[in-house]
Amino acid sequence: MAPKKPVVASGADVGDGVRRRPVAAAQAVPVTAAPTAPTAPTEVDNKKQLAPKKSSVLNFLDAWEVVLAPLLLTALAIFTRLWKIGISNIVTWDEAHFGKFGSHYIKHEYYFDVHPPLGKMLVGLSGVLAGYNGSFEFKSGEKYPEDVDYTFMRAFNAGFGIACIPMAYFTARELKLSRPAVWLVTLMVLCENSYTTISRFILLDSMLLCGTVATVYCWAKFHNQRYNSFEPEWFLWLFMTGLSIGCVCSVKLVGLFVTALVGLYTVEDLWRKFGDTKMPVVTLGAHVVTRVVGLIVIPLLVYMLSFALHFAILDRTGPGDAQMSSLFQANLKGTSVGRDSPLEIAYGSRATIKNMGYGGGLLHSHVQTYPEGSHQQQVTCYHHKDSNNDWFFYPSRDDEAYDSEADPRFIADGTTIRLIHAQTGRNLHSHDIAAPMSKSDKEVSCYGNLTVGDAKDHWKVEVVRDAASRDRSRIRTLTTAFRLKHPVMGCYLRAGNKNLPQWGFKQIEVTCTKTNNPRDTYTHWNVEAHWNDKLPPSDPGVYKSPFFHDFIHLNVAMMTSNNALVPDPDKQDDLASKWWQWPILDVGLRMCSWDDSVVKYFLLGNPFVYWGSTAALGVFGLVAAWYILRWQRGFGDLNTTELDQIHYAGLYPVVGWFLHYLPFVVMARVTYVHHYYPALYFAILTFGFLADWFLRNRKRVVQYAAYGLLYTVIIGLYIYFIPICFGMTGPNKQYRYMKWFEKWRVTD
Amino acid sequence: MASTAVPQGSLRQRNTGSKKSPAAAPLEQEVSKVKSVQQKTKTSETEYRIGLVLITLFGFLTRFWGISHPNEVVFDEVHFGKFASYYLERTYFFDVHPPFGKLLFAFMGWLVGYDGHFHFENIGDSYIVNKVPYVAFRALPAILGALTVSVVYLIMWESGYTLPACIIAAGLVLLDNAHIGQTRLILLDATLVFCMACSLLFYIKFYKLRHEPFSRKWWKWLILTGFALSADISVKYVGTFAFITIGSAVIIDLWELLDVKRPGGALSLSQFSKHFGARAFGLIIMPFLFYLFWFQVHFAVLTRSGPGDDFMTPEFQETLSDNVMLANSLDIQYYDTLTIRHKETKAYLHSHPDRYPLRYDDGRVSSQGQQVTGYPYNDTNNYWQILPMDGDEALGRVVKNHDLVRLRHVVTDTVLLSHDVASPSYPTNQEFTTVAVADAIGKRAQDTLFEVRIEHGKKSQAFKSIASHFKLIHNPSKVAMWTHTKPLPEWAFKQQEINGNKQIAPSSNVWLVEDIPSVPQSDPRRQKPERQVKTLPFLRKWFELQRAMFYHNSKLTSSHPYASHPYQWPFLLRGVSFWTKNDTRQQIYFLGNPVGWWLASSLLAVFVGIIGADQISLRRGIDALDRRTRSRLYNSTGFFFLAWATHYFPFYLMGRQLFLHHYLPAHLASCLVAGSLIEFVFTAEPAEEGPSGGKTQSAGPKRYLSARERLAGQSTMGVWVACGVVLAVAVAGWYFFLPLTYGYPGLSVEQVLRRKWLGYDLHFAK
Repeated sequence: MAPKKPVVASGADVGDGVRRRPVAAAQAVPVTAAPTAPTAPTEVDNKKQLAPKKSSVLNFLDAWEVVLAPLLLTALAIFTRLWKIGISNIVTWDEAHFGKFGSHYIKHEYYFDVHPPLGKMLVGLSGVLAGYNGSFEFKSGEKYPEDVDYTFMRAFNAGFGIACIPMAYFTARELKLSRPAVWLVTLMVLCENSYTTISRFILLDSMLLCGTVATVYCWAKFHNQRYNSFEPEWFLWLFMTGLSIGCVCSVKLVGLFVTALVGLYTVEDLWRKFGDTKMPVVTLGAHVVTRVVGLIVIPLLVYMLSFALHFAILDRTGPGDAQMSSLFQANLKGTSVGRDSPLEIAYGSRATIKNMGYGGGLLHSHVQTYPEGSHQQQVTCYHHKDSNNDWFFYPSRDDEAYDSEADPRFIADGTTIRLIHAQTGRNLHSHDIAAPMSKSDKEVSCYGNLTVGDAKDHWKVEVVRDAASRDRSRIRTLTTAFRLKHPVMGCYLRAGNKNLPQWGFKQIEVTCTKTNNPRDTYTHWNVEAHWNDKLPPSDPGVYKSPFFHDFIHLNVAMMTSNNALVPDPDKQDDLASKWWQWPILDVGLRMCSWDDSVVKYFLLGNPFVYWGSTAALGVFGLVAAWYILRWQRGFGDLNTTELDQIHYAGLYPVVGWFLHYLPFVVMARVTYVHHYYPALYFAILTFGFLADWFLRNRKRVVQYAAYGLLYTVIIGLYIYFIPICFGMTGPNKQYRYMKWFEKWRVTD
Repeated sequence: MASTAVPQGSLRQRNTGSKKSPAAAPLEQEVSKVKSVQQKTKTSETEYRIGLVLITLFGFLTRFWGISHPNEVVFDEVHFGKFASYYLERTYFFDVHPPFGKLLFAFMGWLVGYDGHFHFENIGDSYIVNKVPYVAFRALPAILGALTVSVVYLIMWESGYTLPACIIAAGLVLLDNAHIGQTRLILLDATLVFCMACSLLFYIKFYKLRHEPFSRKWWKWLILTGFALSADISVKYVGTFAFITIGSAVIIDLWELLDVKRPGGALSLSQFSKHFGARAFGLIIMPFLFYLFWFQVHFAVLTRSGPGDDFMTPEFQETLSDNVMLANSLDIQYYDTLTIRHKETKAYLHSHPDRYPLRYDDGRVSSQGQQVTGYPYNDTNNYWQILPMDGDEALGRVVKNHDLVRLRHVVTDTVLLSHDVASPSYPTNQEFTTVAVADAIGKRAQDTLFEVRIEHGKKSQAFKSIASHFKLIHNPSKVAMWTHTKPLPEWAFKQQEINGNKQIAPSSNVWLVEDIPSVPQSDPRRQKPERQVKTLPFLRKWFELQRAMFYHNSKLTSSHPYASHPYQWPFLLRGVSFWTKNDTRQQIYFLGNPVGWWLASSLLAVFVGIIGADQISLRRGIDALDRRTRSRLYNSTGFFFLAWATHYFPFYLMGRQLFLHHYLPAHLASCLVAGSLIEFVFTAEPAEEGPSGGKTQSAGPKRYLSARERLAGQSTMGVWVACGVVLAVAVAGWYFFLPLTYGYPGLSVEQVLRRKWLGYDLHFAK
């Protein structure tokens, strides 16, 4: 391949000359004008030769391609992403979730969700801009009322989808692809039906995609600055990379995968610099420090900032309260936690009891029984407010019985008590039976009633600390952290964020653990709500919970409930799909009901883009194996420039694809087709690289023919399938022509 | 790896004479014996040979000592003893592990003339009472376990390590309580570990012959490597990890063969493809054929129908002889009288004129209907007539899967019914009772309808006696008829409770029709033509079994009280309780020798540290090691480390329940690393200083000498001392935990508490 190069390296091979320059003259490529500047001179050279043949219009187009092409493609993106965006006036697909979360921001009501807050805050922002007051409930399939400008909200969201197109264009340029290959990559992103469809609704996926594309773009920019270390521009792109990593991770945690890609690149880069013994140690240290600051500290700050905003905006009580610590809830407006409730717990008090571990819930029981072990009534931790969370503090059986007429008797550190479940009247109980999930712990159940029962219903209160007072003769609402020890078996009540199976409704398992670790916060409990008519109300909620605590608490809670999103074998989910179905475009997804009267949207990709990009990954593997084996056999096929091109424009996208794809293979949670979209972008880049690699040194005719064919097929198929993106009106039978396979359920 | 297994230079003997320092280890005796012999003979291999003999001797001693204790079924002997019995009885059974390991046990039983009458039902069943030759069974893993120690020794020897390094590695395995404990019982792991060790040894032998490719010996060791690998995977599927170990080494080897700049001169592509082909044949194709061969043996031995039938398709079951299904199964027709039996508890569905009491002890009320109970004995009150839903009186109609039926209790002429009334013992489950026939087709018509749901049945498949395992689903409320062993109070004569279980899925809901008493023995329906045992092609049988094995293996996800997580293993955080005996306070608690275990694990970390430090210093242009030492460190110790990593990390990806014994192959590899690393630390230039200190030691030779000669320049004293110390601590640890491994003597509370080092959940701690 290499020897042929000079022969055909004519006009089409623009990139080559450029790439060689930084290698030779590492110090001095002026980057301020990138990416246009380095390209221009070579093009001018070419033009001189070709000038007589070309008209001035073509000349002009050629020179201004870098401006005109992205402008044109962006204009097309604006059209495809916004055309008839409002024709479906019903709440479609996950708009039901994200629209609702946006409403919570507008109403300042605290809610809980598994995703980080940035994306949903942006949805909220779009609502504010649209003049929406947050009163709509976003029930799935419901019609939008008059006063909700959903068209604007969708258009706002589509903006992120549109932004992907110019960024894809410039990314491909930064990866040193030849001009037609740059167009090819951009076209594949533009003419991708699934990208189009997903960008047209109030969802987080377009933001995630935009963030992923932006991160890759910044990374490529930064990479091309590698010979200008510590120049302003280098700092700019390092900082931008960090910023976009922070943003994408604050939208969905899938952003961590693209972070891992940048991380791998950085490790490789530093390892290379580490081996450069000529580099002064101070410079090396500066490289490490700038990377740490730019790629770890900045993203972390952005991530935390988004949570700080989240807490600052959501200052009222709402549906997500119970996920948070009691102290946090006490500081929300309109909450009943810590307001007007008696301070000190006495016998006969009715209370809810909160686990103090990160992501802990309220102690809960319900009439359903354990299907194994003792078959007694289940005890769990639950994250929603419900009367099944209420417990009565009662004296132990050895103690004087509770007398509702007498003066209240208070509970002190070391008191042995009973806890009676208010709804079923059963006692919190533990016994020598292994817990259902954590087999080394003991099962905790609800058993007996006021009279039936034994010493195994007793729990000894052990105060760990009290934020309000040093007086251990009382247990106080919110501020006292205590452990409950089972005196008969010597174990401690614990809820360790382990989800029960479906029979326990995926609630958190409560066990009695033998290990006595006073610092295990999952064995710490506090009283959250407290009612007792005989005690005077007071205001215990004057203590603030620190931001860091809330931040970590919320993140742990997000992880825990994300882990509970596993497919339920008892429940058929038509919409979910498996990882192996995505790259081969085995299934699509119906985003709304398939009634003839609704405007129907079907989430399905452009078949050529999917199949082509998937095949590209395999072909890349073959190409890599081919060159490696040839190299071992002593053939020097590639020069440094070509090696670099394979390494950065080919290998890194492939690695990016694996990083975005493999986690879903391992992941146990429910997965949908749109989880593949970030990975697809990397597959597209790989396809672009390969097209460039195979075609860049071919004859012009071949190039024209090949690229022309690719463009035609991509655009043709896009238009062929466009109704699924723009909305299919009328009877679904008339769209039968798109149902190439049984599983593409475009029609019934 | 294994570049040098060279004769000891005479120089070594000079050193040994000078060091008579008394080390505390009991094995020091052995060491001095070695030396005394060594001085007499001038041949350098002799001391290794003597070491091998002694190590093997100790291996047999530690494995066989007190092997007859306990004389009861221990832990998983329940499974593997049972399987051996099935082989001997030739009844078909199903298990998720491949057959080779179990066939070996069966072979052992056959050798001593045991007939397989005992089925190892429960842990704690006596072998003496049941007359089982259990010592013979246990001798097999014990022999393999003892030989494993010798193989470890040989691996080190073949890899060219000094005698003390060989002794350290073998000693750590020899004195490891986990290896001892696991190899003294009827379990598969001894075979597994032995095969794994053999595959490493054979591959090293093979690799050492790389300069004479395609010679007779070269082929021999290649094929033996393949055979050991095949045996490994035919015992348990974790044997795959050995394939990964050897496979990685082979790929690296092939990669170097492909190199045009390789020292021996470039190979032509046709030469290379010969190399490739030989390895593909020896390490993939041939092992796979052997693997299939054991299945063929498995099928050839198990010709009679048995407990594993249910896992197979009907076509497969027809290949088994005297299958009850074929012999006694009848199609059930409407108006037949049936006896229905619960599969798990063997109780018959029964009813009698007595009624449920109005109030139970806990205050709940019943319907006061006629009792329906489970009764273990034959009785006419177990007779139920099966009636069609539509009342069509035509005879001869066959009952089909998913048919809705009524069951008439013949003696009391009432019809089975379930309704939304809590059952006597389970407030959550529905009561079963009977009502008069008039009611049953009148106002309670819906509540008397039951659906026959045959397990794994196809639509409209015929309902058969004996062969059809079914669930009886109450049609309106969708509860399954269920019973359990807790008896009802006196008012029901302590018979079993029958109730409606809302959970339909559990297998405890399964019933079967045992007989059709209304069909007399002479009836033509009972006369069936003798059916021939059919045959199926081997590959089809194998494929079916293989699929079932993988399917059921993936279902083994339930939690076990002594299951542990891979991260706990290298630190030995938790063991497994195998067996306890209350009266003598004896217990077997499966646990490694913590001292040796931690030593081996920490040396793994040291190895990673050394490699990391070396890579980092190399990157900065500092070369701290000479070429030979580095090659040894990377190729030989690195190979052992690879074996450890490939036998350890894949467990993190596994969803099934895991136990400490899964770490044994990895632990063996970690002992190899320990031995070679101790030698490295004490003989080579001190590597732990290397990265920072640079090339300060002048002792490192500049010429390329053989390893032995190079070492001869330095004193091996350090290694010998280290060896002594390691053995001493290992013996101490082994002795201390011995009562938990061998199951005697019983321990007092205080003694148990002293052994709860990391909070091991030992019994009798109170």
